[in-house]
Amino acid sequence: MLPGPLLPLAVLAVPLGMGLLAVLPRMRAHALLMLPVAPLPALALAVFGARGEADAADILLGMRLGLDDRSALFLAASAFLWMLAGLFATAYMRDTGKREVFTGFWCLTLAGNLGVFLAQDAITFYASFTAVSLPAYILIVHEATRAALRAGRIYMILALIGETSFLAGLILAGVQAESPMIPEVSAAISTAPQGDLILGLLLVGLGIKAGLVPLHVWLPLAHPEAPTPASAVLSGAIVKAGLFGMIQFFPTGTGMEGWSTLLVWAGLIGAYFGIFAGLTQTKVKAVLAYSTVSQMGLMIAAVGVALAANDPPHVFNLVALYAAHHGLAKGALFLSTGVAHRTPRKRLWPLLAVVAVVSLSVAGFPFTGGGATKTALKSAFHGPEATLVAASAAGTGLLLLRFWYLLRFQAADAPGARAGLALSAPLYAAIAAALLLPWVLLGFAGLETAYILKPSNLLSGIWPLVAGAVIGGAAWALRPPRPPVPPGDLVVPVERAVRRAAHRHLRFAFPRPQIRPALRPERLERLLTRWDTAGLLLLAFALGLTPLLLL
Amino acid sequence: MIAMAPVFCIIVPLAAAFASVVRPLPRPLVGLAILVVLGLTGMTVAEVWQQGAHRIPVGGWQAPLGIALVVDGLSGALLATTALVMTAVLLAALPEFADRDRETRKGWAFWPLAFLVWAALNAAFLSGDLFNIYVSLEFLTLATLALVSLEETAEALEAAMRYALFALFGSLAYLLGVVLLYAAHGTLDIALLSQADLQGTNSIVAAALITTGLAAKTALFPFHAWLPPAHAGAPAPASAMLSGLVPKAPFFVLIRFWFDVAPDLPGEAALQFIGTLGAAAIVYGSVLAMRQTQLKRLVAYSTVAQLGYLFLIFPLAGGDGLSQVWSAGAWTGATFHAVSHALAKAAMFLAAGLVVHAAGHDRVSAMNGLTQSMPMTAFAFGLASVTIMGLPPSGGFVAKYLLLTAAFSSGQFIWAAVIVAGGVLAAGYVFRPLSRTFFHGHVQTVAVPRRQQAVPLTLAALALLLGIVSSAPYAFLQTGRPIAAEEGLE
Amino acid sequence: MTPFLPALILGSALVPGIITFFLPEERVRLRNALNLGGALVKLGLVVFLVAEVNRGRIYETSFDLVPGLPMVLRLDALGLLFVTLSTVLWLLTTVYAIGYFGRRRNLSRFFGFFSLCVFSTTGIAFSGTLVTLFFFYELLTLATWPLVVHWGDAASIRAGRRYLVYTMSGSAVLLFAIVWLESTVGPVEFTVPAEMAAMQDWTARGILVLLVAGLGVKAALVGLHRWLPAAMVAPAPVSALLHAVAVVKAGAFGIVRIVYDVYGIELVHELSMTLPLALAASATILFGSLMALGQRQLKPLLAYSTVSQVSYILLGAALFSPYATIGGLVHLVHQGLMKITLFFCAGVFDERAGIHDIDELDGIGARMPWTSVAFTIGALGMIGLPPIAGFVSKWYLGLGGVGAGHEWVVAVLAASSLLNCAYFLPVLTRIWFRAPGPHAAAAKREVPAALVVPPAITAAAALAAGLFAAFAYSPLGWATLIVGREYTP
Repeated sequence: MLPGPLLPLAVLAVPLGMGLLAVLPRMRAHALLMLPVAPLPALALAVFGARGEADAADILLGMRLGLDDRSALFLAASAFLWMLAGLFATAYMRDTGKREVFTGFWCLTLAGNLGVFLAQDAITFYASFTAVSLPAYILIVHEATRAALRAGRIYMILALIGETSFLAGLILAGVQAESPMIPEVSAAISTAPQGDLILGLLLVGLGIKAGLVPLHVWLPLAHPEAPTPASAVLSGAIVKAGLFGMIQFFPTGTGMEGWSTLLVWAGLIGAYFGIFAGLTQTKVKAVLAYSTVSQMGLMIAAVGVALAANDPPHVFNLVALYAAHHGLAKGALFLSTGVAHRTPRKRLWPLLAVVAVVSLSVAGFPFTGGGATKTALKSAFHGPEATLVAASAAGTGLLLLRFWYLLRFQAADAPGARAGLALSAPLYAAIAAALLLPWVLLGFAGLETAYILKPSNLLSGIWPLVAGAVIGGAAWALRPPRPPVPPGDLVVPVERAVRRAAHRHLRFAFPRPQIRPALRPERLERLLTRWDTAGLLLLAFALGLTPLLLL
Repeated sequence: MIAMAPVFCIIVPLAAAFASVVRPLPRPLVGLAILVVLGLTGMTVAEVWQQGAHRIPVGGWQAPLGIALVVDGLSGALLATTALVMTAVLLAALPEFADRDRETRKGWAFWPLAFLVWAALNAAFLSGDLFNIYVSLEFLTLATLALVSLEETAEALEAAMRYALFALFGSLAYLLGVVLLYAAHGTLDIALLSQADLQGTNSIVAAALITTGLAAKTALFPFHAWLPPAHAGAPAPASAMLSGLVPKAPFFVLIRFWFDVAPDLPGEAALQFIGTLGAAAIVYGSVLAMRQTQLKRLVAYSTVAQLGYLFLIFPLAGGDGLSQVWSAGAWTGATFHAVSHALAKAAMFLAAGLVVHAAGHDRVSAMNGLTQSMPMTAFAFGLASVTIMGLPPSGGFVAKYLLLTAAFSSGQFIWAAVIVAGGVLAAGYVFRPLSRTFFHGHVQTVAVPRRQQAVPLTLAALALLLGIVSSAPYAFLQTGRPIAAEEGLE
Repeated sequence: MTPFLPALILGSALVPGIITFFLPEERVRLRNALNLGGALVKLGLVVFLVAEVNRGRIYETSFDLVPGLPMVLRLDALGLLFVTLSTVLWLLTTVYAIGYFGRRRNLSRFFGFFSLCVFSTTGIAFSGTLVTLFFFYELLTLATWPLVVHWGDAASIRAGRRYLVYTMSGSAVLLFAIVWLESTVGPVEFTVPAEMAAMQDWTARGILVLLVAGLGVKAALVGLHRWLPAAMVAPAPVSALLHAVAVVKAGAFGIVRIVYDVYGIELVHELSMTLPLALAASATILFGSLMALGQRQLKPLLAYSTVSQVSYILLGAALFSPYATIGGLVHLVHQGLMKITLFFCAGVFDERAGIHDIDELDGIGARMPWTSVAFTIGALGMIGLPPIAGFVSKWYLGLGGVGAGHEWVVAVLAASSLLNCAYFLPVLTRIWFRAPGPHAAAAKREVPAALVVPPAITAAAALAAGLFAAFAYSPLGWATLIVGREYTP
């Protein structure tokens, strides 16, 4: 058991409290200092804390928080990234406006993100999921430019659709489960008569968050517009909430073969779509965003495999490991764009060198952390899927090559620009963690270092990169026409159609019938007033009443 | 002495009327007369409450030779209502007629006429035979005619003429019916007639004529055309008694006739027919009330509509239905309505009178801003409206509820619909003036002292109280009913 | 003392009201003291009662209007839920109204009717019979109208007229149905299930439809709702009270009583009337939201939102499932808290910045942060975002819908949430993310406290009601208690 509800609650309460604190007038000036501190309890709990469950029965509909090794890995990696990004932000955001608002919502989003990993009951999960989704809007639109507001709007719409869909799915499952606890809910889904509907609804909700193609469209819009630390956590930690939700809620075993196939192929399509769309991008962070879409596709595909696997927890652990590395590495890549902004071109090369290493790691180059996790993940796939996963690394390499190429143009124009320690330290810490951490955690995933270092596995890590390099070189030489894919690809025509429809402003109003009195009672009244009429009427009344009385 | 209180209920106001013809009474004497009649009425009511319905032979002679007074729950209740309303009306009239116009015709004539009305009403409610009733009604008509023509305007005189004409028609028909009955049965005493066999053609024709006459006098649609101009044209205190009390007398006689004299009269169709006219009155009166631009006319048309409810007693409680469980509810409902309407309508007219006096004109717009300038009067008008609409908590609601229950129990849904619709229509006309009370800015130019405003407020509050403390009046009204249905709605 | 508790509680609203009518306009302090005192006394009594009723006690007083027409005042858990809500919100609204009106005129009249309004609402909650309910229900109509037309301008009078046309017609239908029912099955007491078997199925259905239609006017069912947006011209405290506690809630509460205590949900189900009821409620939910979408002014937007939200309660009552009942009942409270917050805030925006239209809200968040935060909490709660109260209602309603075998309810809830987003979020965007417009620039400070603190409290309460929903004395806890104790469908 976890020690009481206090410690896990503190994990959530500390960021929330700090967020509120930041808004106080006296604290506003130093609001950003909260950012690196807020995730520390979570990090402590994940690394040093016990595993188990704790109840806080009065909160929400009976809150239960809990932690096992897998969620602890998610929690630790996310909290660590949040901490680094927070540290980065203290310097990076120093001169922007509304820092207290940024801090407040940062903390709220953080609490939600951590809550997702801790939640053991569906309500807490849903509440946390909402908290990680919606306040992130504020982070995205922080710069309040037109583009940022547009990205924010699209993000918001998608997030809300996701929320609603997710809740609808939970409700349907919750009735079946008769208990709000996630394991029961998950078990109920497989037996529920509307199981497929439930899974569909949940998938929409979680998939939007996780960047599942075609629900990924907010990612390439939001990342370039958000401030760099926010992009880092968006791509590194927040999208993992969706992935984690899938692991938590999707039942495994027999009956899930269809969904398994669906997820595998949706994931793989996403992986390749992200690559191709990303290669056409000109914004550096958009490229990274598409890379995230691609990587998340791989992870979703692996979740798909797990659903029908013999040993689902093992596969889930592989996914967790992969996610941890990807989160740190992708976070580092985003942070590097921020550092590049503050570095003069002449002094950019050390950064470029380090970024190249991280990029290789993401692409799965042997001996890097990413190489290890990719090898691990590949062990879950079989047959043609395995080949596709392996081959995708070529694309990833290519994509990150493009990123690397574009990064050079991000350098500061002013020769005196300098990225301080507060900027570079988090970056290098993230890189170090990304490169080393997977090796430490191989045991957790049930793998041995020897397996990773098997020549065949090394080879399968290298050949895609070689192929990627060849293709890249050819592209460099030939300069093929670049198809103009706008960031957010699919959403652009949809947006246009909606705008056009909205122009014809819809108004709901009932037509009001105009009733004019057909007869004027005054005319009758005048008639009745005349004494002759009155006499006749009285006579008629008396005469008429007599026979009526006889009836 | 106590046993003879009812007799003095007639004699004392009559004496006061004569006395004020001779010499205008000073204020204390008017007050004394009011107090005495109030006391006498109280005694009568207490007597009925304790002993139940009873007859009082006047001068020691028994029927058919002597004159007998009959007191039962209904007549007691109407006596009490009359006493309350008349007290209020006379109090309200004091400033208008006792001080300013002492020397004018108006100021001189009002007091004898008012006391005469009081006497005639009491006589009508107490009379034990149909001829005495006729005499009382004639007195009532004469007195009210004079009251209507008090204002001396051409309009008022025309209204009075029309009223006279309708009243004449009505009296003729009634008298003819009474004569026919007398010819057939040799008596006009209610108790004796009720034992007679009224199935003969003569009796049937008599019944039709009597009903016709009384319907004309009660201003049942379509014989109502005299009422609005007459009631609207009279001075406000006079209007209050005209609208609140006077139509109740012929209606009371109708009930006496149909439920006491001739409970076994056949004629389900006739009952339905009268009910239909009552329903028509509700709708028609309300619609016209909604279309009036003058305040007092609006209130007068409301009377036309409200009187319509009374006639629903015939289809709901009359005929074969009389033996049914619901008839007691319907009967009590209608009589309850008579009482609460009397109080509320008098309050409304008195309030309207104050408003018209303050604004100097009679248009509905006189009510503008009343909640600011004369809040008590506005409140009185509002409270009275609650009863008129038949909304809880008011006597009107209880009455309506009883009628509705009877309508449903007897399966006559159509009357239920009319009753309910009548409430909505009533809201339609009372809220026109009431809305204006909330307008900004006052238009009232003459200040009205609070003392005067308190009178209608008290009456309206009484009408409301009748709805809250309704079980005692209910039980009282049942006193002396031939068919005991005291279990009420159960 | 205990047998008189219902009377005492009613008196605590009535007596200050009556006295207030007769107070001269200048006696501001006395008037305020009287009204606040009454509200505080009532709150104290209610707190005492909550503990008592929680122990399973039920209080009853009754007297006969006429034989067979008993007026019964009865305190049960359901009534108390409503009373507690109205008492708490009455106190806050009184404070707010004092701040809102300041030194304006006609306040004795206003507070008099205001107290009467609360008196009637309390009466409705305490009603032990159908006729008693009608009695207070009508009183409420009468007491509310002067509040609606309080400003006394042409628009108010027009709105008042529409209010009357609708409510009076509704009452007529209601009365018709009540008497019809009672003349068929005898006087209906809420404790004793009436012998509905005496009725033919179609009669029972007909009466039910009429009852619901009659009450549905106040509950603003679609088609009967048009008075509600019109009544927006009333002063802000009135709108707040009307929407959150008094009028619409009275209608909804009445329908809950009809379905559960008069017919019994089983019978309604057997008559296969649950589905039509649920459909009507759902139609209203969607319709209200759609209409809100097209509004340019803040208060009408909130009004249509009320149309939509109140039907959540009806939906809960209509679905044959204990979860739905809990959801409906709890929404009675939750909607009250959230909606009163929104109206309080709208009033502050109007009073301190002259804002009526939505596009005048631009950038007001920076100028009036407290009010804007409260408004935001209210709006997000309406959308149903956790952990604000609205989400709890939605969750239970959804569970209930599925439990009753109507999965489409979830779709209705989802659609409604999205529509709520569609009309509330643009408002929030304007408040927080637009550059301050002329109104924001000219906005006065957020004073007096009487104006700003009540919305802050209700917003906090809305948040707490959701965050600590599992707490035993939370609205949810209470609703669960009611459902557990009284209805076991």
